[in-house]
Amino acid sequence: MSSKTIVYSELRSSKAYYILLGICAVLVGLGALSFFHLEHQGHHVTGMNNQIVWGLPHVFAIFLIVAASGALNISSIGTVFSKTIYQPLGRLSALLAISLLIGGLAILVLDLGHADRLLVTLTHRNTKSIFAWNIWLYSGFLALGALYLWTMMDRKVNRFYKYAGFAAFNWRLILTMGTGSIFGFLVAREFYTGAVMAPLFISMSFSLGLSVYILVLLASAALGSREVGDLIVNRLRYLLAIFIGAVLFFELARHLANLYVTEKQGVEAFILKDSRYAALFWVGQIFFGSLLPLFLIFCKKFVNQRWAVRLAAMLVILGGFVQLYINLIGGQAYPLTLFPNAEVSSSFFDGEITQYSASIWEWLLGLGGFALSVLILLIGLQVLRFLPESLADEVIEPLSQA
Amino acid sequence: MPLLSNIKSLLVLALFAIALVGCDAGVPEPNLAPAKAKAAQCVEPTADMRKNHMKYLLVHRDKTVIEGIRTTQHSLNECINCHVAPTREDGSAVHYTDEKKDHFCSSCHSYVGVKLDCFQCHADRPQVMENINYQHKLSSNTYHLSAKNAPPELSDLLLLGQSQQAQGVTQ
Amino acid sequence: MSQINAYRRKFMAAVGGVAVGGLASGVILRSVEASDVPAKPADQPVSNKVRWGMLIDINRLTDGGVAMVEACKREHGWGNDPKSRPEQQSQWMRTVKVTDKLTQHSFTLPVMCQHCEEPPCVDVCPTGASMKRADGIVQVNKHICIGCRYCMMACPYKARSFVHESLTDQRPHSPRGMGTVESCNLCVHRIDKGQLPACVEAAPNAVIFGDLNDPNSRISQAVKTLGGSQIRADLGLNTGVRYLGL
Repeated sequence: MSSKTIVYSELRSSKAYYILLGICAVLVGLGALSFFHLEHQGHHVTGMNNQIVWGLPHVFAIFLIVAASGALNISSIGTVFSKTIYQPLGRLSALLAISLLIGGLAILVLDLGHADRLLVTLTHRNTKSIFAWNIWLYSGFLALGALYLWTMMDRKVNRFYKYAGFAAFNWRLILTMGTGSIFGFLVAREFYTGAVMAPLFISMSFSLGLSVYILVLLASAALGSREVGDLIVNRLRYLLAIFIGAVLFFELARHLANLYVTEKQGVEAFILKDSRYAALFWVGQIFFGSLLPLFLIFCKKFVNQRWAVRLAAMLVILGGFVQLYINLIGGQAYPLTLFPNAEVSSSFFDGEITQYSASIWEWLLGLGGFALSVLILLIGLQVLRFLPESLADEVIEPLSQA
Repeated sequence: MPLLSNIKSLLVLALFAIALVGCDAGVPEPNLAPAKAKAAQCVEPTADMRKNHMKYLLVHRDKTVIEGIRTTQHSLNECINCHVAPTREDGSAVHYTDEKKDHFCSSCHSYVGVKLDCFQCHADRPQVMENINYQHKLSSNTYHLSAKNAPPELSDLLLLGQSQQAQGVTQ
Repeated sequence: MSQINAYRRKFMAAVGGVAVGGLASGVILRSVEASDVPAKPADQPVSNKVRWGMLIDINRLTDGGVAMVEACKREHGWGNDPKSRPEQQSQWMRTVKVTDKLTQHSFTLPVMCQHCEEPPCVDVCPTGASMKRADGIVQVNKHICIGCRYCMMACPYKARSFVHESLTDQRPHSPRGMGTVESCNLCVHRIDKGQLPACVEAAPNAVIFGDLNDPNSRISQAVKTLGGSQIRADLGLNTGVRYLGL
């Protein structure tokens, strides 16, 4: 731990800080309003139905949960892989991970048909359910994340820093595999089935978590007038490129594997060619979400240009969101196969492609959860010392030798 | 200063009393008439029921759903059948959520402020809408009677043979 | 897979028609001596010695199962949730029209919960609300259902519905309510009393219901001689609902 050279301090409040806090509070309030509306009315006010059973709130939730586990990576690189240059970034990374996870979980829980029965998940457990595992993985992640933070921030327990870091890193890998397996183990849904979902989600968590981290780091630096040098930003920038490549690799592997299997060719054609999800995939996920950020990162003209990094991170986030949307909504919109090689029709929309458009309530719930994450982050930054006073090159330089 | 603190606590007490008086005005009269109406015929003694009805229901619900045990003594349906009239005298339906709070369960539960979600799924009054004698001629009881005593029906005898003929045709 | 089975079965039935026919009426004659659903004392738990199953001969379902669906609606009170959009309405059972893309061979069959021996919905449920009773009936224990809809994602038959709005005046024997998932439960309340499921009663000439574990039951005899295809047999779920004439 490099606490000798790096000084951490709280985020000093400013007008901009309070405006941001206010916006988040309003959004959280609207999210709560949406929850009470759903709780009272039932889900008939949403765009979800018996075909698209998980909708936009779940896209938000899974995005936040996946990004949470990825955000913790920054500190893991410092701890587990002993890249000391990343160690000053560790505190913010762990705080960000915790706040993102809480926001994501809030959405998941508040979208339940019976959110009031949440305690039932503790009294009744089905050990074979990946959901039940995830409940423990999420709670454990929060606990380990907090423990990890403690070892980073308190000299007295600093000697446990390595252990906490290792535990948190392994835990988060398992957690993201668990999130991916929620889909990967569904035999009924052709678009999901497959072990590749676990590594795909892990790679997504790397790129999404890092993108969110980059944006938060630069924004908090701007809010507190702290210096962030090019050295550290460029490190994160090229790391992001590697992660984008990893997502593309697993996405490619998945689609190629699916395309080879005759029974999955229908759903692949649906996603890649014949539906509005195809445009989202090629334009949203591949072009804007992957290729354009890669260009922004590698183009010589944009070296040391902050806006290029910011834009690249934003685009990766956008692409990741679109990717999750395609997976969740597109995967459900494609009908189940009751009889291969046959056309089926019924009053229950068998054999039909389902349309989905989210209602305002789903948007509010999702944005509310997102705002909750930011709110927790903002409050955390102000009350405890998460942010290094300076990440200027001369401060970072000695660390990068290691 | 002990005197001062005494005065202070007296003042606090007085304020508290005023607050209580204010509350008292707002306490509604519980409507216990529906709950008391059939107390004598209940499946358990009244005192026991007052204290433990929810325990009986909780145990019974798991036995019913998971094990298929359908005894009537602690069945919610039987509570409803006995304690809730489907309609009021003016013919309007009696529901747990009604403002009047004259449903057997809500008369007390609203008074003590204990929320229950039984009636999100369960019917909160006996069924009156229809006699479910809508079934096919082989309604369950008669079917089982006939199965034991009566000679097999022609359709039964043909059940398998005819399907083969149909399949033979499709070949 | 199931189509190959169906083809093979039809072929064999056509070849050995007379012999099988003779056996078949024997099956029926024996079965009418005992009821398909023996009455169980109300205070006795269900037993895993029993496995309820249903054999639906779709060639004999002249209406494709419409009457069965209607009986189910009446029995359980679903089908008209006033605030829900058509895609949000619960459907415990529906008739599905199937047309082979190559041969254009077409048939209609009723599809509901297939009561798998290895139900994916039970595997995924976080609380154990999605459950299989000892006698093989798959159902939702709504008391502990939190409404996560994971079972709906997992079911290959699209057998489950989510209740999208608050309901009143449900059937007393068939509770259903907002925020929980529901599906065909083989009319547990009737079976426990020794009655047939409502849909079976609505199509007595085309459906046999009974105990698949009892080799002497009418249904066991029938599936032994005639087979009984499963929908998506390739998934290996070993369904309790079987079809003739797929």
